[in-house]
Amino acid sequence: MTHRIALAATLALMAAPAAADEPLTYFTWSGYELPEFHQAYLAQHPEGPEISFFGDDDDAFTKVKAGFKPDIAHPCYDKIARWNAAGLLQPIETARIKNWEKIFPVFRNLPDIQAGDGKVWFVPWDWGNTSVLYRTDLVAPDAPQSWNMLWDPQYAGRMATIDAVHDTPLVAAILAGVNPFDMTPEEMDKVADKLRAQRPLLTTYTTDMTSIEQSLASGELVAAMTWNASAVALKKQGVPVEFMNPEEGMLTWTCGYVLLKDAKNIDKAYDFINARLETDAGKYLIEAYGYGASTATAFAEVPQATLDELKLPANPEEMLRSTTFTGPMKQNDDIAKMFERVKAGG
Amino acid sequence: MERRPALADGPGFRVALSVPGVAVTFGLVLFALLLVVGLAFRTNDGGLLAGPLTLANLVAIFTDRLYAIIMLRSLWIAGLVTLATVVTAYPVAWYLAFHAGHRRGLILFLVTLPFWTSYLLRVFAWKIVLAYNGVLNSAMMSLGLWETPSTALLNNPAAVVVTLAHAYAPFAILPIFVSLQTIPRSLLEVSSDLGASRAQVFRRVVLPLSMPGVLGGALVVFVPTLGDYVTPSLVGGPGSIMIGNQIQAQFGKANDWPFGAALAVATMLVILIAVALVRQADRRWGSRT
Repeated sequence: MTHRIALAATLALMAAPAAADEPLTYFTWSGYELPEFHQAYLAQHPEGPEISFFGDDDDAFTKVKAGFKPDIAHPCYDKIARWNAAGLLQPIETARIKNWEKIFPVFRNLPDIQAGDGKVWFVPWDWGNTSVLYRTDLVAPDAPQSWNMLWDPQYAGRMATIDAVHDTPLVAAILAGVNPFDMTPEEMDKVADKLRAQRPLLTTYTTDMTSIEQSLASGELVAAMTWNASAVALKKQGVPVEFMNPEEGMLTWTCGYVLLKDAKNIDKAYDFINARLETDAGKYLIEAYGYGASTATAFAEVPQATLDELKLPANPEEMLRSTTFTGPMKQNDDIAKMFERVKAGG
Repeated sequence: MERRPALADGPGFRVALSVPGVAVTFGLVLFALLLVVGLAFRTNDGGLLAGPLTLANLVAIFTDRLYAIIMLRSLWIAGLVTLATVVTAYPVAWYLAFHAGHRRGLILFLVTLPFWTSYLLRVFAWKIVLAYNGVLNSAMMSLGLWETPSTALLNNPAAVVVTLAHAYAPFAILPIFVSLQTIPRSLLEVSSDLGASRAQVFRRVVLPLSMPGVLGGALVVFVPTLGDYVTPSLVGGPGSIMIGNQIQAQFGKANDWPFGAALAVATMLVILIAVALVRQADRRWGSRT
């Protein structure tokens, strides 16, 4: 009898902590886990969030669909309609987002995030550019400022590109003269041809930016498709690199926070999003990574000289005049399948 | 005559003993396998179990040239890995069985030492060795053998073969060692007494008697490497994308689970054929009776 009581007590003890104080679970890109991005949250909840990583947000989508249940995830805007259609999200009340009004209207008013009635599906947090990062000492000084550098046979075996649908295939579509966001099957064939032409020239398709940066620093790579942060990191190390402003335009994207439908820690999720929208968090994002924060207040804190050096305009609308905004790609799944085929040599 | 305790003999004991094994086999292995096979015949409509059935996935795999190319590439890489592993493992197992003496314990420990670290760490270790500014390039440069570092070491199928052959070495060493270890020493003596040279003893006695270990080790290396996807994606580059990468992509980015399941089923069929061939070989050359 006493055994049974002891057993019951043990089971009760094991079950107890789970109910009371679970940490918030946060599912994100690698590099976005830094505590500097949510100091205010750590002040309120010293245990911090429990963080897990995805390779890209298509990976994240299938993982969440397969039953992984984080509270908050960090996809990019182009994926929101798709996540929503799969019934993975719940609306976020803008009234509970303290700095909602400080978010740039160009992001706040994006069509796919509106859930009506003072609610949104997505809170924009970071924005930035995708372009070609190249070694100024290893390419010809008069090299044309074009995405075509990543297709230039003279750099065969010395280039890499990003393994994500909204980066490499999107650029291939632009170069093939196809609308990346809505294409016919014939147009998709053209994009596939463009991607096929690039494959033999590449060392790798990856989302691991650390290894790309190391390879650019060592001189193994001459040029690679990257995001701003890699340019900032390598320049800080004194590597002679330039983040190209291609004649076809960079890609500009925004990513942010979604609340998953089965989120268990709603209040903590709001605390977390609010902490991430604090001025100091946004300022750190700009200064450490060279990405844009989604709030004007964070930009106001960064000296103009720093912004000039980062080539980051204080107003994203200015940027978007010369770049392609990464919106939802209608044939995302088909392009993803096509991209996988091309990568495998088909 | 002493009567054994009833418990150890009775049907209850035997049932109790086999319950965990049966539960694991049916609940986890067979159930998961059936799920994959079932999924392979489904259309990609987001559902997992119920829904329309189709043969289109398997038809696509067997008619599309691309999948034949990827499968042949995977067989080629896994075959090279197996060959490299067995050829390098045999001398180690030989030394262990016949010459190690009191150092055997230490060497066995060293052989299994890589398993103390994660598989990923072993892959990254090779990345460090083979990288542009890595160990091998630096050594060659400082010895003055190479003018510039070579980019030909990493991001190709050869790097995948080297990395996998190292990672799977103990799987080949141990079965070969056991089969060599159990060869009765009297056979070797009698061969020498009858005038066989050392090469003849090896070729006519030792090698045939160790074939079960060689074939077993080869199979244990071949089957998991055929489906590997981590190593090719980390050190392989675009030229060594294997069938495992495609399966992973279908379950991940491409979001087409039924097609991924169909690829997995096709891979299992290929492995089944490989196992059947090895069994055939075992019957011809491997059996000791």
